[in-house]
Amino acid sequence: MSRRAVELRLLGWPVALAATGGLAVALADAGAPDLSTVAIPLAVAGTGLALHLALRLSGSRADAVLLPLALALVAIGLVLVRRLAPGLLPLQLAWLAVGAAAFAAALVVPRDLGALARYPYTWALAGLALLLSPLLPVIGREVYGTRIWVRLGIGSFQPSEAAKLALVIFFAAYLAEHRELIARAPRRIGPLPVPPLAYLAPILVMWAVAMLVLVAERDLGATLLVFGGFLALLWLATGELAYVAAGLALLAAGGAAAVALFPHVAARVEIWQRPFADDLRFGASYQLVQGLFALAGGGLFGAGLGGGMPERIPVVWSDFVFDAFAEEAGFAGVLALLAVFLLLAHRGLAIALRAPTAFLQLLAGGLAASLALQTLVIVGGNAALVPLTGITLPFVAYGGSSLVANFVLLALLLRVSDESARARVR
Amino acid sequence: MEGAFTVALWAVRLAFLALLYGFLARAFVALQGALAAERAQAARPAGIADLVARSAERYPLRAVSSLGRDPGCDVVLRDDAASSRHALLTFDTGEWWVEDLESRNGTLVNGAVVRGRARLAYGDVLTIGRTELRLEHPAKP
Repeated sequence: MSRRAVELRLLGWPVALAATGGLAVALADAGAPDLSTVAIPLAVAGTGLALHLALRLSGSRADAVLLPLALALVAIGLVLVRRLAPGLLPLQLAWLAVGAAAFAAALVVPRDLGALARYPYTWALAGLALLLSPLLPVIGREVYGTRIWVRLGIGSFQPSEAAKLALVIFFAAYLAEHRELIARAPRRIGPLPVPPLAYLAPILVMWAVAMLVLVAERDLGATLLVFGGFLALLWLATGELAYVAAGLALLAAGGAAAVALFPHVAARVEIWQRPFADDLRFGASYQLVQGLFALAGGGLFGAGLGGGMPERIPVVWSDFVFDAFAEEAGFAGVLALLAVFLLLAHRGLAIALRAPTAFLQLLAGGLAASLALQTLVIVGGNAALVPLTGITLPFVAYGGSSLVANFVLLALLLRVSDESARARVR
Repeated sequence: MEGAFTVALWAVRLAFLALLYGFLARAFVALQGALAAERAQAARPAGIADLVARSAERYPLRAVSSLGRDPGCDVVLRDDAASSRHALLTFDTGEWWVEDLESRNGTLVNGAVVRGRARLAYGDVLTIGRTELRLEHPAKP
C-alpha cells in the first residue's frame, strides 16, 4: 500500500475524534448537539482531505503518519476551544483554513528545498527582526506582562512563532556549511574545543539575543525555544556534548543574572518555586494554582469532557489547555495526548536520520527538536516543573500564529521526508 | 430520562478516549510497517550503486569498477575526450572513492579536479571527458 493510501486511512481517526469529542462537549454544555457538533468534524475532515490532496498533487512520497498525528492534535484542540472558549471557535476555524493554505504553499515554495540554505544570513536577519519586533514602539504590544505581540492593521500576531522557523532554517544552513570547522577545533581548553573566534561568534550572538528576549520581552518561552533549539542543532551538527554543556552554563549564568537584576524575571521564578505561598496564590500565581488544581482533579479518567471546571483558570484556552484536558480526560487522556506528541517528534527525528544532505538533516532535526522542546516547555510549565511561559501547546491551544507556523513546520518536515524517499528510489 | 442522558454522555466521552487509543495503536502499526520497510531497504547488499548519465542511461557499479573508452572497462564510455582507462571507482569502508588513472583530460567531482583519490557521495556529479555521470542509489530491480 502506498504511503498516501496509508495516510488516507489514518485520517479517518482524527475526524472520529473530532465528532465524539465535539458531541460530548456540546451535550454537557447545552444538553443537545449544536452547530459546532457538525462544524468541528467537518473542519477536520475538510482540512485533512485538502492537505492529503495537496500532497498527492505534488507527487509526494513523504511519510504517511505525520499528517494524521497533527490532525488528531488539531481535532483535540478544536474540541477544547469549543469547551473552553466557544466564542473563539469561528476564529480558530478561520485560522485552521489559513494554516492549511500555508501548508499547501510551503509544499511548493521553494521548488527546491535545498535553496533555503542559499541565503543563511537573510534568514538570520528575518528571524531576529521578527523576534525583536514586539519591542518596537507603535506596533509592539504588551499583553499579560509579556511583550510578544505585534499589531499590524486589524490583526495581532506573535512573531516569535515565525521567528522560530526562520532561525531553525538559518541554524541548519549555517551549521551544515561550517560544522567541520566548528567540530574539529584546533585548540582545546580542558574538554572544551575552542573553534576559531569567527565561528564562535554566532553562538555568542544567539546567547545575547536569547538574554535580550528574556529581559526586554519577558518571554521565557521564546528564550528557551530559540536557544534550546540552537543547542540541539549544534549538538546534532558537531556531536560535541561539550558545546551543549557550555551553552547551558551560559544560559544558566545569564538567567541567574537576570533574576538578580530584573524584578519581573525574579517574579516569574518566584511563582514557579512557591505557587501556593499565601502572598501569591490569590495574586500572581492564581492562574498556575488553578491549573495545578485542575491537573490534580482529573484523576485516572477525568471528569469527562465538559464535566470539569477548567473555566476557573484564567486564559485557560491559550495557556492551560493541557491542564484543562487533564481535568476532563484524566491521566488516560493526557498520556495518549503526550504519546501523539512523542510519535510526532520520533517521526521527525527519523526523517532527519534518513535525509540525503547535511542541510536537510539538520533542518528536519531542528524542526523536530523545536516542536518537542515547545511541547516540553509548555507542558512542564502547566505542571510547574519549569517556570510558566506564554508559548502554546502545538496544534492544540487556541492561537492563530502558532497554528499557522506549526503547519508550515509540518509541511517542511514532510518535504524533507519526500526528498529522502526520492533520493533512495532514484 | 435524566439517567439515560448521563449514560449517553458518558458513552460518548469514553468513545472519545477509546478512539484516541485506537488511533495511537493504528499510527503505531503504520510506523512499524514503515520502519520494517526501511530496514529491508537498508539490508540490501552494500557497495552497489549506479552511475547515471545525462541521457538517463544507468551503468550499474561493482565494488571496483573501471571507467574509460576501452571496451574492457566495466563502464565503457563512448567519448573521445575520455582516456582508454580513465578512472577507477571503488567502494571501500562504506564509502565510494574515485581515483584518476592519470587520464589526459582529468577527472572532476562536482567541477573540482580530482588529485589522486577523492571521496564520492550519492548525488555527486563525476565529469570524465565530456561525459557527466551522477552517482546514485541503485534502481529497483
